[in-house]
Amino acid sequence: MADLAIDVRDLTKTYRTPFARRKVEALRGVTFQVEKGHIFGFVGPNGAGKTTTIRTLMGLIRPTGGSATILGKQLPSRAARFQVGFLPEAPYFYDYLTVAELCDLAGRLFGIPAAVRKKRADELIERVGLSRARGQALKKYSKGMLQRAGLAQALMNDPELVVLDEPMSGLDPIGRKEVRDLILSLRDQGKTVFFSTHILSDVEAITDRVAIIVKGELREHGTPGELVSRTVLGTDVMIRIAEAADVTALTDAGDRVRRKGDALSLTLPANADIDAWIAKAHAAGGKIVQVTPRHETLEDLFLRKVEDAKASPSPGGDT
Amino acid sequence: MIGRIWAIALNTFREAARIRVLYGIVVLVVGANLLSIVLGEMAHEETRVARDVGLTGMSLFGALTAIFLGVFLLYTEVQRRTIHAIVSKPIERWEFVVGKYLGMALVLTVLVVLFGLAMTLVNAVQGTPVTGNVVQAIVLAWFEVLTVAAIAIFFSSFSTPFMSGIFALAMWVIGRVTPDVEAAARTASPWIKTLTRITLEIVPDLHLFAVSGRSIDGAHVSVHGDFVSWGYVGLAGLHGLGWIIGLLALSALLFHRRDFV
Ligand SMILES: Nc1ncnc2c1ncn2[C@@H]1O[C@H](COP(=O)(O)OP(=O)(O)O)[C@@H](O)[C@H]1O
Ligand SMILES: [Mg+2]
Repeated sequence: MADLAIDVRDLTKTYRTPFARRKVEALRGVTFQVEKGHIFGFVGPNGAGKTTTIRTLMGLIRPTGGSATILGKQLPSRAARFQVGFLPEAPYFYDYLTVAELCDLAGRLFGIPAAVRKKRADELIERVGLSRARGQALKKYSKGMLQRAGLAQALMNDPELVVLDEPMSGLDPIGRKEVRDLILSLRDQGKTVFFSTHILSDVEAITDRVAIIVKGELREHGTPGELVSRTVLGTDVMIRIAEAADVTALTDAGDRVRRKGDALSLTLPANADIDAWIAKAHAAGGKIVQVTPRHETLEDLFLRKVEDAKASPSPGGDT
Repeated sequence: MIGRIWAIALNTFREAARIRVLYGIVVLVVGANLLSIVLGEMAHEETRVARDVGLTGMSLFGALTAIFLGVFLLYTEVQRRTIHAIVSKPIERWEFVVGKYLGMALVLTVLVVLFGLAMTLVNAVQGTPVTGNVVQAIVLAWFEVLTVAAIAIFFSSFSTPFMSGIFALAMWVIGRVTPDVEAAARTASPWIKTLTRITLEIVPDLHLFAVSGRSIDGAHVSVHGDFVSWGYVGLAGLHGLGWIIGLLALSALLFHRRDFV
């Protein structure tokens, strides 16, 4: 399949600590695909296996089992790495370099000619908002600035696929928005962006696809819309009805009942017959003000998946 | 390939140039050279003392620096994860190892040159010219230092700086005293003899680079008198190069298999 940027099949990784004789099953058969041109959000709580997956994709660690291709090339592939930009988690770079020197070093490793390196570095430093700090050594940088420097060096090769491990961590709300905008602008340029995060608001707004990973297993996979619309939690209704009216027939079916003056609001369960309820309300002399189906938010779904994983017995685990 | 290796080498040089200890070592060795003028005056052996101090200081501190750089520079890349943004780019891991080594070799070469200049200066003050013997001895010391750096890198490609340091130091000492050990083992039991042989085979023959005061093929060799030929220096250099290439190849192989987490 030529239109896949990343194709991961049944990836497993078990860390072994040589002396402690400890085994950690960080990945337990992870399978997912990332289409070219998409923004793909890889979501999971801390310790879920996001970084392990990404390091495997970047050839930093060898998988224990399974396989993966990047841009159609089987890992590990040097050819693929020419087309990939990578921002490591909580990046740390040679702290005696300036951001321009860091970009230059990256450019050299990609074999980019000197003149092009200089031009690209200047553009990227501007783009990630480090123009004012470009003369400083990286050791003077804050965590957020390092994150930006990391983005700049990751884009030196004008990559087709950009892999970012927690790109928004360490950034303030403005910084997060800037990174979100950067990711969107990369997609507008036709690039594929794969990024991990444990913060859902980052994902809901900008991704085309989301995968939720918990304890080394993929729990959900789809568009953000699909993931959240699968479950209707209930329906919020609000009507106006005379204060004196007896509404027990209406409120019996729902919960979170609130009555204030002539306003009555309550939540009907997911399986309720809304039409029948509305008819009953009309018959009782009520006027419908609002009917809103309540969906699970991505956050709710995420929390539920994490809870599910806690409840289910974990084979192996950190033992 | 060359471009990538060179990029790593230059960056390593910059990294090492920021290590303050190195400047301390330069000051120490240059200071010892100057002090040797005074010592020489007292012993009425000016030139001899100055040369011995200069060459010994060069070998000793050159090798110690080589071990220090070798065990730390590769290790810290992995430890601080600076390597993540590097090996995820289209560079082979062996290119990274070779680049690191060349960067260190560059630093060590600068040190040897500085030490050599200090010796020349002292000799000039004493009114004795630098002889061919001294130049040969310096070149041999340079080969030794570069070989020791490769030994240190080799150990650091799979163990901690502390362990690598101990191993490299042990190798350096054993490599230096090989002929003495061989001589001592001549009278030992066959078992000990075999064990000694094996040990000495797997340790680089660093004694080839420190010949002054020894006998080679029955002839006494001294930097103050009859010294080795340039042919010998060349052969010793090739011997060192063989070890360096072999050790780097092994390091690259071990490094290739590692997970960077
Ligand atoms: N080098 C390592 N050795 C042992 N266990 C590890 C190592 N790196 C990560 N782990 C474990 O693997 C699991 C997944 O970690 P990671 O991939 O970093 O998760 P995430 O990036 O989603 O926070 C965690 O349980 C973590 O403790
Ligand atoms: Mg992580």
